[in-house]
Order: sequence, then structure tokens, then C-alpha cells
Amino acid sequence: MKRLPTSVVTIVAALCLGLVPAAAAQTSDVAREIIDRVDRVLRGDSSHGVARMQVVTEHWDRELVMEMWSLGTDYSLVRVQSPAREAGTATLMADDDIWNYLPKVDRAIKIPVSMMAGAWMGSHFTNDDLVKESQLIADYDIEVTYDGVLDGITVWEFRLTPKPEAAVVWGHVDYQVRQADYMPLWARYYDEDGELSRTMWWSDFRDLGGRFVPAVMEMQPADKPEESTTVVYDELEFNIDIEPSFFSLQMLKSHR
Amino acid sequence: MSSQTWLRIGWRNLGRHPKRTVITALGLAVGYFAVVFIVGWAEGITAEMVENATGLVSGQIEIHASEYRPERSLYATIGGRDGTNVDQLLQTVSADPAVVAVSPRVYAGGLISSGDSTSAGMLMGIDPELEPSLSRFLDELSSGRLPVPGRNELLIGEEMARQLVVEVGDEVVVVAPGADGSMGNDLFQITGTFRTGLSEIDMSFAVLPFRDLQALIVLDPGRVHEVAVSTADPWIAQATAERLAGLLIPMGLEVEVASWTDLRPEMVEYVSLVDSFNFIIIGVVFVIAMFGVANTMLMATFERRREFAVMLALGTTPLKIVLIVLHEAAAMGLLSLALGAGITLPLMVWWHNAPPDVSWLYGELTAFGTLMRPTLRVEYNVSVWIQAGLALLVTALLAAIYPAARAARIPPADTLSGV
Repeated sequence: MKRLPTSVVTIVAALCLGLVPAAAAQTSDVAREIIDRVDRVLRGDSSHGVARMQVVTEHWDRELVMEMWSLGTDYSLVRVQSPAREAGTATLMADDDIWNYLPKVDRAIKIPVSMMAGAWMGSHFTNDDLVKESQLIADYDIEVTYDGVLDGITVWEFRLTPKPEAAVVWGHVDYQVRQADYMPLWARYYDEDGELSRTMWWSDFRDLGGRFVPAVMEMQPADKPEESTTVVYDELEFNIDIEPSFFSLQMLKSHR
Repeated sequence: MSSQTWLRIGWRNLGRHPKRTVITALGLAVGYFAVVFIVGWAEGITAEMVENATGLVSGQIEIHASEYRPERSLYATIGGRDGTNVDQLLQTVSADPAVVAVSPRVYAGGLISSGDSTSAGMLMGIDPELEPSLSRFLDELSSGRLPVPGRNELLIGEEMARQLVVEVGDEVVVVAPGADGSMGNDLFQITGTFRTGLSEIDMSFAVLPFRDLQALIVLDPGRVHEVAVSTADPWIAQATAERLAGLLIPMGLEVEVASWTDLRPEMVEYVSLVDSFNFIIIGVVFVIAMFGVANTMLMATFERRREFAVMLALGTTPLKIVLIVLHEAAAMGLLSLALGAGITLPLMVWWHNAPPDVSWLYGELTAFGTLMRPTLRVEYNVSVWIQAGLALLVTALLAAIYPAARAARIPPADTLSGV
């Protein structure tokens, strides 16, 4: 049996999309166009890849190797390959639901809505980060807050403000995009009081699966500067042949 | 004349209108009953609240690592990363004479799942041997039995069982983030359900032996988050907590020993608020009673104007007239007090020992996160009984001052001549 390669891609794609929401009614045409391009950098109709996730906390460090698949913004599957003790642990995102498969007890459990803000696999990403990317595009108004040279790089900066009716936990999200190649550099998430809550960094921009993408992303909580979660893509391919039926509970439970 | 003689005169004067006297005295007696009963009931509610807040789940004193509160981090165990000798710690704490029960606890946030339903919950690791002597919520399970250590058994709240659609004997998956970053998960069998009446606990608490929880979340056996302590009386908890802190901290344990008065300051404030109301209640009730007594005494002196006029004409000093009236009021006060005590004290003893069910008046309710049973529970407060008794006598006397002064100033000649 072949171990199915996994899905850092999905998460990255999801997060990038979330960070770089698409055009909204009040968004200027320029901002909309830029964001659309940034958006497309990491979004394929489908993707498949292998990534390492390094989680550093005050109390422990660990690295997970994961294989991930995604289809559109509604479906993704992430399966842990190592460490051995957790190999086979998998997360399925289908529409807005998240299921976790636990090989030790051979059960899949559905993550309740109340736990969507909880950590995903002990990382600094939340369950919400995995499912919310598609809504984010529709949920924010976007404005350009800076257009010029910073630290020798020509960048745009955007501010994303949730629309009044949007179910979004952030007060606003700022992000910076490199003008030369539309690569996102960082995103800063602020809570409703305007306090910085966490920062995402992208780096190591290179060709993966025929696209120029950031291969590394790092999430860093503002209240714990010594902690972070870093996701590094080792393999990535886009537009693979995959059907929605792939993202099923049966698939979630198959160890290999 | 001795004051006894004056009192006897006062008593006899009361006998002129026995019905009126009894009615007035009954008014004062009911006032006395109202004060003693209301204060006793308010204190009964307070006592019930404090006992439930401290006795139902939490205990009167909680010992934590000093950095445990308020984040309640998984890692903030007593004794730090290395933990502590739990048995020895329990022995040290239970050696204090005020301590009647002690129990170790481990907490972790987790998910409990059955089929398609998953509940986010608080996993509470307890010692099934020690816990029932400390907290009441496991005394009477609504179904099943306590979990046995080492067998992956679990108790959940009634409401959680309803939401998960599980019953005793069913298996659930428990998932909790481990102390090493892993995702602890295992199958547990439900051995019972409990009901505290507090919805947040019945909905979100799962109780299991703390050794099993430690294994699930990869916590060393010496690492516990809390030692709960119960004292014989909630009101000695603060002093006991200070004594325990003085004992444990010099042993090198960085702990916080918090009594419920530290953990629930709002409840302490409520108790002192209730206490301060006692005086207001006494004041209001007796001010009302005072007008009743004043009215009676005014009538009693007015109808005897001629009698007082004769006494004054014969050489009785106005001061003596005043004394006669005041003694009459004092006799009235004593009669009222006897009546009041006669009515009140037996009822207090009865209701204290067998609180009547007043669920027809109000159902079970929660206040300050504790459950209140609908019973008419009254507490004894002897100092309030005495204060209310004194207040009754003072009321009777104060109410008689104005009628007495008027009686002393009756003009004898005009009065006797019929003007």
C-alpha cells in the first residue's frame, strides 16, 4: 500500500487565501486586482504536497511531517506521516466541517463549533484557519494603506476590515505584498481592540510544482514571542486529478 | 418606690383594656418574629450558597502552583515540572486539625465524542477514594457508579450525556492535548452520570481517575494541578489556608493556598451585604411598630386625663407621671417580648432542624454560580435575637415618650373643671 502524500499545501493555501482576501464591494479596483493575483499564487483548482510543520512552544518542540490534498476551497485532507506515534492521524475539511481521525482508537471525531478557535494539532494554527479561507475573501473590505519602497523592496500594504455582517474573529488584518512578484511577505492579525494578536511570515519563495510560491510560512503569536509554528513545503503539485469523493470519511480513516 | 412597683403599676394599667393591650403587644411580637425570621432566612440562604459553592464541587480551600491561576495552564502543576510527592503532600495537609477532607485533582481541556456528536469539555481527574468525602456532587450519581482507576472509565454530566446521546455502558472517545505536544486520545467507557444543577458543569465536566487522565495527557504521576481541601466550617477556611501556606511554602513548594473567600470575593461581599441589611430590617420593622405603640399609649393617656389631673392636683410631680406612663410602656414591651419569643423561637427551632419545602414558592435556582434548594432554611443568630429584643423594648419606650410628656403637662384645674 502506498502512503498517501499530504497536505501542508492545503493549509498553506487556506491560510494564504485567508490572509489575502479577494475583492469586496468597497475595495478599489487596484487592490482587488492585486489581491486576486496574490490569491491565485497559492490557489490551484487542486493541490497535493508534503510539508513539515515545526511547532516551538515554551514547553516542547516537535516536528510533524504531513501529506496534504486540497480541492478548491471546500475540501482538504491532511495526514500525519511522522512521528511514528502519530502517523495516520488525519484531518478532513469538507465544506465547513472538520473531522479528526485518531488511528489509536480508530475513530473519527467531528470538531464542534465551540472548538473552532482551538489549536490544530498542537500548532499555533486554529481549526478556523483551516476552513475559513474561502469566507475571508467575501468577508473583508480591502484598502491599500501603503504603496512604495520599504527596506529596499517595493511593496503594497493592505488593510482588511471585516464587513459588518461577517463572522470574523479579527478586528482587522494587515498584510504586505511584494510588488515585483505579488508574493505575500507578512500578515498581522489584530483583535477587536486593535491589539496585535499574531503575525504570519512567508519566505523562501521558489518554484514548487510549476509555480512560484512561498515555501515557508511561520505563524507567531504576539503574546508568546518565543513560540512559533513553521510550515515548510518539501513537495507541491497543482491541478492534480482528484474528485470531491476523495474527501470522505473513508479516505480519512485509511491509514495508507 | 422601687422600679418593680412602678412596673406593677404599669402592668395593672395595661389591664384596663386587655384587648387593646394584647393587640398592640401582638403587633410588636409579630415585628420581633419578622426581624428574627427574615434575618435567619437571609442567613440560611447565605449559608446554603456558601456551602454549595464550597461543598458541591470545589472545596473550601484550593492549593495550586502559584502560577496556576488564572490561566490554569496544563503545565502549572504543584512543584513545577518535576511535580511533587502527592501522597506526602496529602498527608501533610490532612494533618491540620481543621482539615476534614483532602483530594488531588488534575485538569485538562478536551473533547468527548460519540458518533457524530462531540462536546468540548473540562476533564477533571480525581481520586475516586478521596473525592466523595470532599465534594458532594459525586455522592449521589444520577445513574451508574464511580469510575475505577486503570480501566479507562469516565463519568459525565447529565446534560453532556444528553447532548452526546450516550448512556451508562457506552464508549466515548476522549481527546486532549498532551503535555508533550501530542494529541492524547483514548476510548473510555461511561460508568455513570452526575447532576449538580449547575448547567456549565453538567454540560461540560467529565470526571475520571486522575491517574488515567495523567496517562492520557502524558503528565508524570507526581504532577497534579490542585489539592482541594475541605474544612469543617466554611468560615474557618481563610485561617486554615493561611496556616497551610505557612506549612507548605517553607517546604519549598511554590504554592498558592486560596480559601473560597479569596477565590469568590463576590460571595464574601454578598454575605457582608446581607449582614448589613440586618440592621436596616430591624430599623424598618420597629419604626413601623413604634407608631402602633405610640397610638395606643396616646389613647391610653388621653382617656385618663382626669386621673392624671387628680394625681397632679394631689401633689404628684410631673416626673412621676412620666415614669408611670413609661413603665406602662415597658410592661407592654416585656409582654410583647414574651409573646414574640414564644411565637418565634419554637418556629425557628422547627425550621432550622426541618426546613419546610417551599418549591411551591420558587424552584431550584442558581446564584453566584451555586445551586440553591427551595427550602425555608433558617440559621440561628443569637445576637440578632438579643438585638431585636432590645430594639423592641427601646421601641416601646421611645413610643411612650411623647404620650408621657403630654400626660405630665395636663393642666389639672382646667381638666377637672371639664374645659
